[in-house]
Amino acid sequence: MATELGMPGTNQVEEGPVGVWGMVIDQDLCTGCQACVAACSMENNVAVVGEEDAGYGRYMHWIRIERLWESTEYPKVKMTPFQPMLCQHCHNAPCEPVCPVYASVHSLSQDLNLQVYNRCVGTRYCGNNCPYQVRSFNWLDYQDERIHPELVTLHNHMNPDVTVRRRGVMEKCTFCIQRIHKAEDKAKSEGREIEDGEFTTACAAACPANAITFGRLDDPESEINQRAEANQSRAYHALEEIRTMPRITYLKGGV
Amino acid sequence: MATVAQPLASPDIDEHEDPRQFLMHDPLPRGQMNDMVMESMHTTSPIFWVVVIALVLIVLFTLGYEWYVLIMQGQGRAGVTRPDYWGVFLVNTVFWIGISHAGTFISAILRVLKVESRRPFTRAAELMTTFGLVQAGLSIFMHLGRVWLVYWMFPLPNQRTIWPDFHSPLMWDLMAITTYLLCSTMYLFLPLIPDLAMARDRTQGGWLKHFYKILALGFRGTEGEWKNLTTAMNIFAFAIIPVMFSVHTIVSWDFAMATRPGWNSTVFGPYFVVGALHSGMAAVAIVLFLLRSTMLHYKYFIRAEHFNTIGMLMLLVSMAWAYFYFNDYLVPWYGGDVWDKLFQEYAEKGPKAYLWYTMLICNIAVPWLLLWNKKWRETPWLLAIAGILINVGMYLERYIIIPVGVTINRMPFTWRQYEPRIEIPMTIGTFALFLLLYMLASRVIPLIPVWEVQEGQEAHMLRKVGKAHVSTLSDLE
Amino acid sequence: MSEKISRRDFLKLASVGAATTAVLTGCGPASRYVQREPYSKMPEYTYNGLSTYYATTCRECAAGCGIIVRTMQGRALKVEENPNHPVNRGKTCARGQVALEGLYNPNRVRGPIQHTRGEALYNAEFENAEPNLTWDEAIQVVADALVSPERTAFLMGTASDHLFDLVSDLAADTGAPAPIRFSAGSLFDGQATLSRVAEDLFGQPALPFFDIGNSDLVLSFGANFLETWLSPVAYNRAYAQMRRGNPDRRGYFIQFEPRMSQTAAKADEWVPIQPGTEGQVALVIGRLVAEAKGGDMPLAFANVDLEAITSELGIDREILENIAQHVVDAESPIAIPGGAVLGQSNGLQTAQAVMALNALSNNFGKAGGVLLSPLAPNQDAYHRPASAQEMADLIRRMNSGDVTKLLIHGVNPIFELPKSLGFAEALANVGTVISFATFADETAVAADYVFPDRHGLESWGYQQVATGTSQSALSGSQPVVTGVYQRDSSEILYNARSTADILISAAKLAGETAAQALPYNDEVEYIQSKLTNLVGQADGSFTAPEINSFSAHFQQNGGWWRNTADLEAPAAVDVLGSDLQVQAAEFAGEGEFFFLPFVSPTLGEAGANKPWLQELADPTTTVMWNTWVEINPETAHELEIEDDDVIRIVSEAGTVEASVYKYPGIRPDTIAMPFGQGHTAYGIYAQGRGVNPADLIGEHFNEAGDLVFAGMKVNIEKTGKKRELARMEGKLGVYGFIEEK
Repeated sequence: MATELGMPGTNQVEEGPVGVWGMVIDQDLCTGCQACVAACSMENNVAVVGEEDAGYGRYMHWIRIERLWESTEYPKVKMTPFQPMLCQHCHNAPCEPVCPVYASVHSLSQDLNLQVYNRCVGTRYCGNNCPYQVRSFNWLDYQDERIHPELVTLHNHMNPDVTVRRRGVMEKCTFCIQRIHKAEDKAKSEGREIEDGEFTTACAAACPANAITFGRLDDPESEINQRAEANQSRAYHALEEIRTMPRITYLKGGV
Repeated sequence: MATVAQPLASPDIDEHEDPRQFLMHDPLPRGQMNDMVMESMHTTSPIFWVVVIALVLIVLFTLGYEWYVLIMQGQGRAGVTRPDYWGVFLVNTVFWIGISHAGTFISAILRVLKVESRRPFTRAAELMTTFGLVQAGLSIFMHLGRVWLVYWMFPLPNQRTIWPDFHSPLMWDLMAITTYLLCSTMYLFLPLIPDLAMARDRTQGGWLKHFYKILALGFRGTEGEWKNLTTAMNIFAFAIIPVMFSVHTIVSWDFAMATRPGWNSTVFGPYFVVGALHSGMAAVAIVLFLLRSTMLHYKYFIRAEHFNTIGMLMLLVSMAWAYFYFNDYLVPWYGGDVWDKLFQEYAEKGPKAYLWYTMLICNIAVPWLLLWNKKWRETPWLLAIAGILINVGMYLERYIIIPVGVTINRMPFTWRQYEPRIEIPMTIGTFALFLLLYMLASRVIPLIPVWEVQEGQEAHMLRKVGKAHVSTLSDLE
Repeated sequence: MSEKISRRDFLKLASVGAATTAVLTGCGPASRYVQREPYSKMPEYTYNGLSTYYATTCRECAAGCGIIVRTMQGRALKVEENPNHPVNRGKTCARGQVALEGLYNPNRVRGPIQHTRGEALYNAEFENAEPNLTWDEAIQVVADALVSPERTAFLMGTASDHLFDLVSDLAADTGAPAPIRFSAGSLFDGQATLSRVAEDLFGQPALPFFDIGNSDLVLSFGANFLETWLSPVAYNRAYAQMRRGNPDRRGYFIQFEPRMSQTAAKADEWVPIQPGTEGQVALVIGRLVAEAKGGDMPLAFANVDLEAITSELGIDREILENIAQHVVDAESPIAIPGGAVLGQSNGLQTAQAVMALNALSNNFGKAGGVLLSPLAPNQDAYHRPASAQEMADLIRRMNSGDVTKLLIHGVNPIFELPKSLGFAEALANVGTVISFATFADETAVAADYVFPDRHGLESWGYQQVATGTSQSALSGSQPVVTGVYQRDSSEILYNARSTADILISAAKLAGETAAQALPYNDEVEYIQSKLTNLVGQADGSFTAPEINSFSAHFQQNGGWWRNTADLEAPAAVDVLGSDLQVQAAEFAGEGEFFFLPFVSPTLGEAGANKPWLQELADPTTTVMWNTWVEINPETAHELEIEDDDVIRIVSEAGTVEASVYKYPGIRPDTIAMPFGQGHTAYGIYAQGRGVNPADLIGEHFNEAGDLVFAGMKVNIEKTGKKRELARMEGKLGVYGFIEEK
């Protein structure tokens, strides 16, 4: 549920339909195909960092597919089910209280964790504190055309709805907030609530196995709530025990 | 201002021992002591200038050029990555704040506890505090991704009417360190006033005289002025002690308030404070050794007994410190948290395990092997070596907590080991800057608080004659 | 002649219905004289800030998925999904998503070039060669090639189908040899073998359609259908359907493969059998199933010697018995042969054995079983890409001087064919080589002329869907942008021209016969001529009274398809009644290890020049930007090889060097390497990166003509060098941080 932080001195402005956004990710269906990763990167102007930096851990992926090994004893080798890992938009986000300049804040109306690029000074405390390690930092000017002139042509495909980040700034999955805003604007101008399935995030849209579904948590009839209900025995939150209260429900795979 | 002196740390002066080996029992006329200090300030050898120029060049290259490159190209020039978002710059910050604690400990706590042997080196230690904090501040700035916007962390009036976020331990850091810097500078300055006045009186002219004149605030040494000064110093002495404890505790909360396994522990507060004392005391030993070896006449002021005191303090702190290593093993064991256990296991058995064991040797084995023996404690160069090793160990300790420890988190898929890059020259730069500032300060600021030494000597020369205390030291001017 | 109407004008004539979809209507062929306008001159119907969406077909592989591309102010911004398209139903794969980085790639061919063979077409600063011909001159060159074209060969790729049809028509009427189409994808898919087994069993050389979605037990013999095999998006969706589509049951999935591929990783059981033994294992399972079911033992399995095979292959009989029990208990089991299994010398026999399993489960023509992919709506007969053997025939003809002019489009044979087939050398015996490549790939570099085709997203066309859906589908393409322009001017940056248009124009200059073979004004007129038969057909995704409005709807919807499933129940030959023999696979070379190349699931065969595909982590090893060789950790330990060591792999056909990845999921006697890197041209992002495992593959073919790409045995040599692989995974976390002694 959306809560109010009750900061002193602010005016609480109701901004159109309030939607609490969440996701259900079915690990039994995820095939690890990376379509969601590609879709997210193309939608959100995520930078390519090159082999050396990517191998050092500086890949900018906002979503990544994780896998571990349950057993490596040949021939009984087993991989853990593929797990797409992205910003969980925790209700109790550990990344929010540690930013000294309020660059990582919680949205009142959408219950999302917001990263304010133009406020970030790059202390990277939020990155350290995120238990899911889903925050990407712009270590260098990966998208600067003066340094990489070959990007001039490639940048034709950049999404104009999403800021291009410069060096020194932290970034992460926003649940495609540009799409949320577009849908909210449209619904508001038509005087109605956003319908479930009216739009979706880039990753959920692309996933061929329909493993990622996105929708409103505060709508009991929404697809994600139905999915979670139908699969309650498999449902869990990542790192539940540290009580970050994430907005993403995972469904266990392989069972 | 008669004070009744407390006995020296080793009060029993053997009949066969010459009491004059102790500074407090070996008085010289104050004028002579002042001359000695002034003379040592103005005597420089060519080597001094060679070293200073070398340091200037190093600082210009590392903190000038390399830092420029770091700012213009981005934090990618450093070795930080995911999940190692913090690296050597934070290690430097913690390390330098640790060093800076030594000054306050010596000049405040030892003063409050009336430990006499502190007298000649309080100022040398306090200068370490100030210059150490400068390095710590620089190191914090170095790690910021957009350092040109750091003023957003200060509560300055702005158009967006946004305050900084005081939930963040970094803001507490900011306030604590700023407070500490201001307070310790004040506390450095107050006892310095009489010596600045002395220097003013002994300087003929030029910009230096002007400099002393302004800073001495017109101190003439009257009874009233001394009374005010003493009151102020006593207030500060008591006030700065909680500041000292709280500053490093707050710095430790940068880590303790994080959710990362291995960091998220309440032991960090005392852990960091004791660690600061450990490295600070060791640094004082090094500085004293250097001062004694390089400054003219300082062999009079800094003697074996002082090294003995420092050595004993180092030993004492190292024992407290050993408890914290025991705690490192204890908590994961009884707590049972799988990630804490992995954190500890990684430090001991991972690819950087050699750092862990080097650290244990330097921090525990070295003081425990070398510092029990009084003769050894009184040997300056031995203590200096112990100090260097302990500081290496303490640097490694912070290195293990931050860049090595940060590898472990709750997402094994991301675990990666940090390798420092541009941080190496920049760290060397902070050390070079520290030395440079110290060396330049030694030309301008009298490093021995002669009035304090004199005060102590006088107190030790008091005899009871009837019901009165009479000084047997003639009050020479 | 017709008037020249600018694109803006005829778009004005469109009825722009829904705000989010724009319609490229036609008023007839006359309206198709498209005049390019830079995006500083926008059509009136665009609003600043609102996007325009165009439906087209993805050309990153041959599957023919339908996509809708979001554009704004003349720039294509995002590939999104066409929810109505029967192949992908609103989903895309990673390669489709990154297609825009091909359109806007910094290394494309900038215009018609007359070229010295071997000369680079770009430099290390990403600067591309200047065009040195005009398009009229280029057309004249092509026209010259079309005069007396008995010795003109056309070599094409698997997309786009409309060009293949056009060239087929041209060749048929002018006496040129029929065009050949080929791709590495079809090679590694084993499509020739699949078509052949379908032909043998069902009488039609169609690609079988494996209805995994409705099955509850999938036995996959080497078919990595979740990666790049046949139609990845469709099969991914079907996999999900199999698992969770039915709330009462969760489908069970068993994969037989020497290596744990991404597909095998999703299996409930991974059975690592020796390469080439899959057919025998299938027969064993068939025998066990037949025994469990009782009744007469079919001849196909009668001569199976269980003991001999299981002991020879070193497989636990109990495992196979359990699997057989699964088959017996399942409602709709299916067995699939694919991938490296087909790329063995006994691939065809193996496929037959696996099909026998399907016959045993009686699933031909049923939901959850094996069906035949339907013909596309405007297709008369199935055609499949050339097998490697047919490519070898072409090469022989080239070497014997039978080919004087070679026109290449949509395929990069120097890279995609193993070197052992000798395509590059054969080019020396061809007088004129004309490449229509959009990107400066290896074959373009070896050509005399490069006349760049427009990128798939800038092109008209249609794709006849070969497999992946139960509906007969024709997927349509239209340009989503008019071109790629310079940054600060209205000058076009990539002055490409549609190959179909070039051929049509050239045919008019190449003599009477050629001109009559292609009596069209332009490409769009040709396409419309191929759609005419669909107008008025029933049961289609839309109807229209005449060709112009049909064409408009065709663009708007992204194609035309039949609404109902069109899968034939194949009239199967009595495979159970034949005495199936699966001989042991033959391996070439004296080496110690089986060599298993597989198509990179992220790069596909042609993705290396797109930086975001390079930066995607491989699903199983998480390696980015490079080639690796997978070795079992035990084997590596014995050979004292560590991660990131560079080793040399030697086969009878060639040598490559690659960094080691100690991979638990692979047989100790097998090593594997992804295909997709190892380019020597194809753009700065691709060039000089990794190695090409095709270099190790020798010239051997199976009975169906497919290359025996999984039939090499290789040796390993240490080089003493190390080259670190860029892994996304943290090795310390995934594989542990304690040094093993």
